[in-house]
Amino acid sequence: MSITTLNPENKKAIIKLLYQLADDDFLYAYRGSEWLGLAPHIEEDVASSSIAQDSMGHAAMFYRLLEELGEGNADDLAHARQSHERKNCILVERVNGPGSYMENAQYDWAYAVVRNYLYTTAKKVKIQSLKQSSYQPLADVAVKVDMELHYHLLHWKTWFIQLLSSTDEARARMKDAYVQVMNDFTDVFSFGKDAELIKVYNLIDTESVLKQKWIDTITPVLESVQLEIPETFDTGKLNGRNGDHTKDLQGALSILSEVYDMNPAVAW
Amino acid sequence: MTNETKTFYQEYEVFSKRTPTASFQHQFSLLAPNEEMAIVMAQENFMRREPVYDIWVVNRTNIRRLDQEEKQILNRLDNKEYRNTKGYGYLKKKWRHYEQKMFDEKEILSWGKEKSK
Amino acid sequence: MVNISSVVDESEKLEQFIQRIENGEKIEVDDWMPEEYRIALIKLISMHGISEIMGALPEKEWVPKAPSLQRKLGIMAKVQDEMGHGQLLLRVAEDLLKSYGKNRGDLMDDLFKGDLKFHNVFHMATKTWGDAGLIGWLVDGAAIITQTNMLNASYGPYARALHRICAEEVFHAQHGEAIIMALAEGTEVQKEMIQDALNRWWPALLMFFGPASSDTTGASKQDVTIKYKIRTKSNEELRQDFFTKYIPRILSLGLTIPDPTIHFDEEKQTWIYQQPDWNEFKQIIKNKGPRSQERLNLRRTSYENNAWVRDALAAVIN
Repeated sequence: MSITTLNPENKKAIIKLLYQLADDDFLYAYRGSEWLGLAPHIEEDVASSSIAQDSMGHAAMFYRLLEELGEGNADDLAHARQSHERKNCILVERVNGPGSYMENAQYDWAYAVVRNYLYTTAKKVKIQSLKQSSYQPLADVAVKVDMELHYHLLHWKTWFIQLLSSTDEARARMKDAYVQVMNDFTDVFSFGKDAELIKVYNLIDTESVLKQKWIDTITPVLESVQLEIPETFDTGKLNGRNGDHTKDLQGALSILSEVYDMNPAVAW
Repeated sequence: MTNETKTFYQEYEVFSKRTPTASFQHQFSLLAPNEEMAIVMAQENFMRREPVYDIWVVNRTNIRRLDQEEKQILNRLDNKEYRNTKGYGYLKKKWRHYEQKMFDEKEILSWGKEKSK
Repeated sequence: MVNISSVVDESEKLEQFIQRIENGEKIEVDDWMPEEYRIALIKLISMHGISEIMGALPEKEWVPKAPSLQRKLGIMAKVQDEMGHGQLLLRVAEDLLKSYGKNRGDLMDDLFKGDLKFHNVFHMATKTWGDAGLIGWLVDGAAIITQTNMLNASYGPYARALHRICAEEVFHAQHGEAIIMALAEGTEVQKEMIQDALNRWWPALLMFFGPASSDTTGASKQDVTIKYKIRTKSNEELRQDFFTKYIPRILSLGLTIPDPTIHFDEEKQTWIYQQPDWNEFKQIIKNKGPRSQERLNLRRTSYENNAWVRDALAAVIN
């Protein structure tokens, strides 16, 4: 399907899905970038920085698809939209920890590793599905994103497994982080109110198919470190896909649009 | 390993191949607690702006170096023309006498490029 | 009792060492070297490495705030490079420190104790997006001048690291220029932003090259590093190079240098300018600059809070 042959409902479905994908990676990359200079090891700082860059690059690709569909300029879509207009999942908007990235950052590496690993595994499942999307431009982007996910997965899985297999203290911290991340997992595979619309046009697998695929891939990994998927992982109330967000998102947005807001109309 | 070597900061030398046909080149060294971590660190630390086809990491403890004393084994006399083409340059004139050209390095290595008839 | 033959040995070794350097040979980590050389290298290279690590922090302040996707990506890549440069340089310093039984952990401890110095510029506050541009343009510009001067350093590992670093600095320079160009060609507000940034950063830029002589601040390492061919030019020569290369560009964009006295004296073939406050410089590099403690704290807090990570993975090494 190319842009010219889309009927209005089909186009609407694609746009709804794209906002979710773009906002997810944009916030994920934003939170990743707050860790710059603060990682527990210098070599790790350099390596994980590439992951934040790659992910922001993915967000940029999705925003550009939206631009091609007439939604406006990619930079405006990334920077100008308010909290209630954002469609990212709750998991990626959560702060890295108390404090701000410029002052007194009390960021927890266990939380970073668990969030990054589990987000990436979920992203992988979605991207694999998107490679078969009925909307060809999106399928093409998914192929590119998938190429970079190999490294992201290896990177975070290595940290995840190693920390969970090391000392009692590390394990305890990782388990706490795991509970915290799982509490926010409800809307990761959700498409919110737009689920039916998106399903009709074969853009991506359904929520339940994606969720099951994820459970199938992640279970052996979790078992190898004696963890289980909690029963309540998808029963939370807040759904970012419907524009319901926490104040953490507001905090992020006010920083990331600080300079942009000075004059959205000019070139920087 | 003794307790002193149980440090998070193990030293790993990184090697990489740019292309499938290139040989491994030494890059720089990085610190990591184990080889899995070293592999995960290597590409983005040293090769983020160039094509990479393959990577090796080697813990420095697995490298046998030469100490200053031992480096003396690397010295040798410059009297070995018998095993270089330098020692056989006189043949050129001889072959010319027989109206034949000299099969030197340039000539012989060009044979690999010749196509079948 | 002094062992006469070892004294003769030492002075003979020193002579051979100087001869090697004069011949343009590279010294490698396991080669014999005078203590003075080793110590000078350790000080210079650790300071350089730590400056990169600490320098990432003021720049990183602008990553989340950068006003477009392209600029966010550009600064992220630049900050990554700074950390990467720090990594390369600290590795060089660490290999030299092995003979003192010190490693990365000790270097980090020294940094947080305040024992390690880093360049004055990274102690300064950043106020606006104009600062992000200015840092990429002129602070990196100053760093390029000092670094290219050491590309032929006598110490092999340092020279090799610098080659890679300088290649990446080219992208940094252009990234900084791209930000500045957009502002210089933009609205009145944007143009004022760069002028304001330049006004605030000018003294720090001058100080970056270090005092002209030890008379100014009571200390100067430049003599040792020049003697051993780690660098070829003096602090003042490098500062003069900076003026020659950058003042025409700065003026071409319609900016004013916040030093009304600065001019090139044709007769003396040198730039005449107002000295920055060298007392302020002394305070800054003692970690008493505007943002010194905050940035050290930021790093120290994260490093200490996440010590469990390093401890955990070290504990299971078999």
